[in-house]
Amino acid sequence: MGFEVETIIKIAAFSGGGIAMGLGAIGAAVGQGYTAARANLAVSRNPKISGDIFKSMLVGQAIAESASIFALVITILLLFVIPPSPGLLDAAAYLGAGLCMGFGAIGSGIGAGNPGGEACFGLSRQPEAGSQLTTNMLIGSAVCQTPAIFAMVVALMLIFIKFGGAALTPTWAALIGAGLSTGLAAIGSGYGGGLAAGASCEGIARTPQSVTSVTTLMLIGQAVAQTPSIFGLLISFILMFKTFPESSLLMTPMALLGAGLCMGLGGIGPGIGNGMAAEGAVRWVARNVEHSSDLMRIMLVGQAVSQSTAIYAMVVSLVLIFVV
Amino acid sequence: MDTVKQVQKKITQRALWLSIIVGLVFIVMGYKSVGKGLILGTLFSVLNFIFMARSIGYKFGRSKRQIFSISIGSIIFRYILLAIPLIAAVKFEQFNLVAAIVGVFMIQMVILAEHLLIQIPILRGKQI
Repeated sequence: MGFEVETIIKIAAFSGGGIAMGLGAIGAAVGQGYTAARANLAVSRNPKISGDIFKSMLVGQAIAESASIFALVITILLLFVIPPSPGLLDAAAYLGAGLCMGFGAIGSGIGAGNPGGEACFGLSRQPEAGSQLTTNMLIGSAVCQTPAIFAMVVALMLIFIKFGGAALTPTWAALIGAGLSTGLAAIGSGYGGGLAAGASCEGIARTPQSVTSVTTLMLIGQAVAQTPSIFGLLISFILMFKTFPESSLLMTPMALLGAGLCMGLGGIGPGIGNGMAAEGAVRWVARNVEHSSDLMRIMLVGQAVSQSTAIYAMVVSLVLIFVV
Repeated sequence: MDTVKQVQKKITQRALWLSIIVGLVFIVMGYKSVGKGLILGTLFSVLNFIFMARSIGYKFGRSKRQIFSISIGSIIFRYILLAIPLIAAVKFEQFNLVAAIVGVFMIQMVILAEHLLIQIPILRGKQI
């Protein structure tokens, strides 16, 4: 059964759109649900300030929803914006864009729910620290969205850059691999960043005076937790912009697809691991401010070690792209 | 629930005013589609936020099954609501797509700006 090019493009664009919105909705919904669950707990604990808790929950949920709105934007573009005279490579690019945004929104959505939930619960413990908690929650949630923004950038590039001049094989695999690399790697970084942000809200609620140390450590921890998604972005850029010679061998496209998968999957664990290291440090710095430099040192060493598997994944991806 | 209504009112008013002012500036400068796209996107972002806030109060005193149905219905409805300005911007040239996308995020931008701007010492001083 043969298909016209236009039909193949539409199949890829519609499938990409479905994947982007379907997967993209998972994270935000889980994150918002977590925030609501913690808000319930907070209201049970301190019903007198239920209004303030609802306010924090609403604001936290609105920010956590951003990741799924990114996915919605990409979906609408895939469903309705097909440039004139598309080629077969555009089909691969559209599918890659959908995969990238769909996977890329999961971690940030779940992660952004953490600070929202912990801010609500913290408010029930320490109502007078409400302003500090809300500000910290918003900063933490916003930084959590960075991996999803990386995914949206790659998805937009895949949709709008014309790859028409490149060889169909193996470039089709490179474009799908580019989407998978950033999208999958963003899962761990988004979720990991959320762990650090959640712990910082808990820490501020416990010791409001520690807000400066807690926020600083949270931002450093989150920045390092983003590294695997930056590796994913790097591999995506190489896969999108390197010119691959035409090949009739199946091995070449599979190597490029494997490079994207390797970096994407390889980035999930380190992102979460880095977030856990940051979570521990941020949580404990609130109880032990005078030892913040020791905690930061241990956090950074722990994150560096946890990062090593992402570096292995990046090295293997580079070998698959440049050597195989 | 009064606090929620106050917050909702404050944020939505600021988002609408901001988009109207910025939108009008673009329209006056001759970028009509940009201004219109921004206002359109913001309008639906505000509607989404109002619906989100209202649905919180609507869930009280209902059975578990009803709450589940309301929640699912609310999510689907809100995503459809946010898709409208984007589809309109894609279909009609008088609305700029990028501006409509920016408008869709206006509520989030106002929430972040409101809390982060008061961290600037000069502005914090003024507020006190």
